[in-house]
Amino acid sequence: MGATSVSKARPAPPSAPAGRTVSKRRTGRAPTGPGRRRQRAGMLMVAPALLHASLWIGLPVVASVVLAFTKYDVLTAPQFVGLDNFRDMLGDAVFRKSIVNTVVYTLFTVPFGMMLGLLVALALHTGLKARGIFRTAVFIPQVTATVAIALVWLWIYNPGNGLLNTLLSFLGIQGPAWLSSTSWAMPSVILVGIWQGIGMKMLIYLAALQSLPKELYEAASVDGASKVRQFFSITLPLLKPATFFVLITSMISAFQSFDQIYILTDGGPANSTTMMTFEIYKSAFREFRIGYASAQSLVLFVLLMGFTLVNRRIMGGTRGHN
Amino acid sequence: MELKRRSLLAAIGAGTAAAALSACGTGTSTAGSADGPAEGEITLLTPIYEGADGKTLLEKEILGGFRKKYPDVKVNVDYTTYDQLNEKITTGLAGGLLPDVLMMGVGWIPPFAAKKAIAELPEKFATAHDYEKRVLEPSRYDGKLYALPVVLDTRIVVYRKDHFAEAGIKKTPANWAELRAVAKQLTKDGRIGFDPFSINLRQCWETFLFANGGQLFSEDGKKVLFTDARGVEALQFFKDLIKDGSAVYAKKTDTGAPTNVQTGKASMMMTTSALWRQVGEQTPDLIKDDKLGAFILANRKPAMLQGGTLVTQSASSKHPAAARALVEYLATPESILGAAKQRGSVPGLKDLSDSSYVKENKFVDLSLQSMGHACSEGGTAAWMEIREKIKPTLEPAIVGNQSAKDAIAELGRLAEAAIGRM
Repeated sequence: MGATSVSKARPAPPSAPAGRTVSKRRTGRAPTGPGRRRQRAGMLMVAPALLHASLWIGLPVVASVVLAFTKYDVLTAPQFVGLDNFRDMLGDAVFRKSIVNTVVYTLFTVPFGMMLGLLVALALHTGLKARGIFRTAVFIPQVTATVAIALVWLWIYNPGNGLLNTLLSFLGIQGPAWLSSTSWAMPSVILVGIWQGIGMKMLIYLAALQSLPKELYEAASVDGASKVRQFFSITLPLLKPATFFVLITSMISAFQSFDQIYILTDGGPANSTTMMTFEIYKSAFREFRIGYASAQSLVLFVLLMGFTLVNRRIMGGTRGHN
Repeated sequence: MELKRRSLLAAIGAGTAAAALSACGTGTSTAGSADGPAEGEITLLTPIYEGADGKTLLEKEILGGFRKKYPDVKVNVDYTTYDQLNEKITTGLAGGLLPDVLMMGVGWIPPFAAKKAIAELPEKFATAHDYEKRVLEPSRYDGKLYALPVVLDTRIVVYRKDHFAEAGIKKTPANWAELRAVAKQLTKDGRIGFDPFSINLRQCWETFLFANGGQLFSEDGKKVLFTDARGVEALQFFKDLIKDGSAVYAKKTDTGAPTNVQTGKASMMMTTSALWRQVGEQTPDLIKDDKLGAFILANRKPAMLQGGTLVTQSASSKHPAAARALVEYLATPESILGAAKQRGSVPGLKDLSDSSYVKENKFVDLSLQSMGHACSEGGTAAWMEIREKIKPTLEPAIVGNQSAKDAIAELGRLAEAAIGRM
């Protein structure tokens, strides 16, 4: 076993199992007989989901793309304006700032959140006492409404009588106005983002850790590999598919962060915490610029798609080791 | 076959887009006549009448009286907050489900009237009661009446008389030079002399702009006027206060908590007329011991920002007569006084200026006496967009290194672009 067998265990390109009908595109032949019936049954089964997705996801997506090229304020019918919204976006310093803020927020919350999530998962996997309680405690922020969480953090960060500054005052330190300072607002928001996201990351890593084959560790122990070596040579490589999944979902989630900004800072002070989703929301619902907001959404989509593809290329997607 | 499938997908896409765009209608067609009998089921969207008390006041007292007068009208109430009012209206307009009767803020009428989302009201409503002269100005667009005032919320300066006496200050500041000097004198031992930042920065700067003799927009709402020296000086004044140490941007009062002037953390603060009611509930001794005073901000002229809540009628109401009847009823002296008492707001009717409520509430009384100096925000059809830009554009000058001149110039550019898009 070991590295050789691991590399050998890479999944082969998908091929049709014997006796199953392969697609027409691949073979050039239409399915016949039982294959066709199976295909029809399959189509019938996915039809409700497909209809639902077309109606409630497809329609808004197409509408959003089309509206991105219009001037639409809800009050009057949309007018086609070509690329005007995108041109406006180039001159919109606040939106540019929101892109930078979103990237900064993502660069901090995703790696740190993943590291902490993995550490917690490892601690739970290696037989921590009262791990049920610990696991629940770590996961609670994930299932609690962000509004409630943000309100608690609002109190923690309160410069006057907040928990953080009260604790700091015991050490003789006068804490800053966490959410009103341009220097501290973004780190404060990032901290909330990391804390809130650990639970889900931990859960995925824990599930992945529990499915790792014990034989590899036994073989490595026999070969004299230390725990650290086992972690870096066995655990981490085998967690690659889970890591890719956590990375992509965390990145998307970070790019779509909204609630904590809305409650904690309203994008301020001086736009220091505004994010792309918050700017999209402001354009659409506070300024009645639906066309512009749609164009901003399109940019967010393209950015997310780009990052996902780059990550996929770097990490090789969810294909991992057996 | 492949080509046909693509064509089919393209057709579906185009059809979807067309369907989506056709759904983006204006939804402003009016069904029925406003002059017909008041009947039917209508919806009221309101950001006021908050909490259990407000709900009781509206649904039992005010709407109870309305039901007696109009038994064939059923009113459903949709409560919201000012923070979420925009979203409610946007989604209502987009979905063609705009409530029949809406309550809006000052400055909101021109944008919605310009787009024909709200209905014009008969001019006789303007003379039905004895309104203070300036009170109806925010209700008009293009000279026509579109809304009626329910309550007013003014921005005034409240100060601690005991702090003034302790420092030997005998009169309230008559201009900014005096205000700055007094604020500096009162700043000591962790106490700030003046807290202008516990109210919305937009409204605070506007009050200073008006007190400096400035204006937001031209009469027709198409030209930006705040970019002159008066607007810059108004913003620079905040920077000067911060430089002196007399004001601190981060030392804002938390929502719902006793204000800085109540707790003694500030000697003066910009606040709303509703503070009197809050003080009565949270720190009644300040009233009992006569420790609070108030004055109108002044520099080149005295100016008091007049905000508030107006009631208007959707242009797409299916029951316009019922909606109009409710608009009229919500603006009667009885309804106005109830709402003003519940919120600690200013009733904008001369008929009510001698009421016991007004006489007992010193800040409301001062506001009513100072209505001649009232100025309002808005005044352009692009206001909904511009109002959102003011705070984030001015903030970098206050918390960062940007100059007041640059911040105002940037705001001017954004406002001109917004007006240009109208």
